Amino acid sequence: MKCPRCQRPVDHEAASCYSCGYSEVEAAMTCGSNQVLLHRVHDAAHCLRKHERDELGETLDFLESKFPQMLFCAYLGTLPASLKISELGFWLLNHGQVRGAEFARPNENGVLVVMDLNTKQIGVSLGYFAETLITEEDAYRALNAARPNLVNAEYGEAIERIFLKIGKVLDKQGRKLRKLTREQIHATLTGQYKNVLDLPPHLSPNQYLKNPPAPGESPGEPRKTA
Amino acid sequence: MKRIAAFTLAVAMPLGSASAARFDLPEWESGEESGAYFLGGGLWPKSLIPDATAAGDQPGATGEAAPAGSLADAGIEFVGPPAPGRPLPGAGVAATTGATPGPAQFYGPAGDGTGSDPSLQRVKENPDGTFDVPEEIVEVEAYEPLPPLEGDLADLYFAHAPVEYLVDPQRLLTEQKSNDIMRFLEFHADESKLRIYVMVIGDNQTIPEGVDIQALHRKWFSDEPTVLMLYYREKPDLTELVYNESIRGALPKSVFDRILQNCLREGAVADLAPDQVEKMAIELSIQIYWLSRLMEKENPDHQSLVSASSVHEMMASADAPELLREYVPGIFIDETSKMLSFVLTFVVILGGLAMIGLIGWIVMWWRGRESLSGEPLLFPEFRLPRRLGGEFSGGGFVGMSFELNEGAS
Repeated sequence: MKCPRCQRPVDHEAASCYSCGYSEVEAAMTCGSNQVLLHRVHDAAHCLRKHERDELGETLDFLESKFPQMLFCAYLGTLPASLKISELGFWLLNHGQVRGAEFARPNENGVLVVMDLNTKQIGVSLGYFAETLITEEDAYRALNAARPNLVNAEYGEAIERIFLKIGKVLDKQGRKLRKLTREQIHATLTGQYKNVLDLPPHLSPNQYLKNPPAPGESPGEPRKTA
Repeated sequence: MKRIAAFTLAVAMPLGSASAARFDLPEWESGEESGAYFLGGGLWPKSLIPDATAAGDQPGATGEAAPAGSLADAGIEFVGPPAPGRPLPGAGVAATTGATPGPAQFYGPAGDGTGSDPSLQRVKENPDGTFDVPEEIVEVEAYEPLPPLEGDLADLYFAHAPVEYLVDPQRLLTEQKSNDIMRFLEFHADESKLRIYVMVIGDNQTIPEGVDIQALHRKWFSDEPTVLMLYYREKPDLTELVYNESIRGALPKSVFDRILQNCLREGAVADLAPDQVEKMAIELSIQIYWLSRLMEKENPDHQSLVSASSVHEMMASADAPELLREYVPGIFIDETSKMLSFVLTFVVILGGLAMIGLIGWIVMWWRGRESLSGEPLLFPEFRLPRRLGGEFSGGGFVGMSFELNEGAS
């Protein structure tokens, strides 16, 4: 993972960026600590036509019916120069509330497409759960597939294509997870199994309690279990 | 001598007429008697005639064969003719009843009276136990020996240039076949400038020593290309083919040897002389067609000659292409077929590439399609550690710039 501000690598459980000290507190100070209400397709830049919004809405309806746990939303705006879209995505997923989203679709399952028309940049912000299913390569591939539409200012089609590509990735990951047994998934999540989904090893306090680390061992390193 | 013969005839005729008068010829006295005449036909013994009673009533039948009543008295039922060489059952019965003894009497030619199979009589047993079996006589049509080719007979062959394409003054071939062969050679002469003359000679005849066939060929056919085929009756292996010197010089000797071999092979198929001549003439005509094609390729001077040949419809023998393929393989494939094969090859290659491209495109489209099945998909739920203080997101972000002069971030 990278820091939304300085784009430096960030540790899995770091409370703040080791380089720039950025954290959710910094984001709240910049953008506000309140909750905001979002539409599924929040066109703050008013760059989408009605039929584009309608078609995009149909696509999102289909994806939501296909993936009942996932949250798909998009924000299109003209951001100030001091605000990066990565920071905005981080803040929106933590402070935004999508209108009409059910309880089964928490923000940690969210896939938020953020686009800044000032800097001509587009990005995908992922919640914690979505990160486990969508890799950076897959996300970048989805963005790259929509590049021709973006260049031609076909923003509605571009965002629709990005969501469809991500939907394919989710479908593929879902089929892969279906082949795993519950024990394998649990072992993966607890770090006892080969990391199929490339998830970060989870260090629960119980493990430390059962097997206290050796005197010379660093407490930050994950412990390998049998 | 004539006088003696006339005197003998004059004396014998009255004696013959007197002896003939002693035989009583049957005469029909009334219509009823004529209706009662038994039609034995003279092919069956009287004892085998079903209507034996009627046979016994025939004049002169008394004492010749046993009546049917005697067979019935003996309790013998006889159906059908007896096996050859066996005594008739009626004869044995007749001996016991006091009838005329001996074998059954036939109306046909009388035998020698022995009653045994003549074929068995030809096998003779030797004292040492071996048998002499006479050889089976096979009927073979024997040709009477032909006179040698000399004098007037030789003149019929070699004195003058032949007028017809088939030269057979001795009538060694049948008339029908001669006409057929003649028509065929005339047809060939109409269609091709290289004509064929067939000269039929007896099997025991030879060309006279004073006759030079090559010289005669030059003398007769110097102005027109001609092939003279010398055929010996029922000896096709002695057949000779005489060509013009110009034709001989235009092509290698092996070509003419191959033509002769093919003709001999065709002639060896048949047994009779007319069939042999016919087959060899047809094969020679076919070979001459290919020879014309060969000359066209080898010698451009003969193109005018070959252009007049239009026997393309004739069926070519199986060996003719082999003959030409050995020397001029290019004449079998003309330009149109070459172009056609080239176009076909090009189309096949192009079609194959298009098919491969289509399949690849379909695979790529299938893999890159954005459609998803409508079946809902549920993921296993689990909680993950927080990062950067975020409750729902830890800042996971992938961005890209779509400005034309910038790359991805």
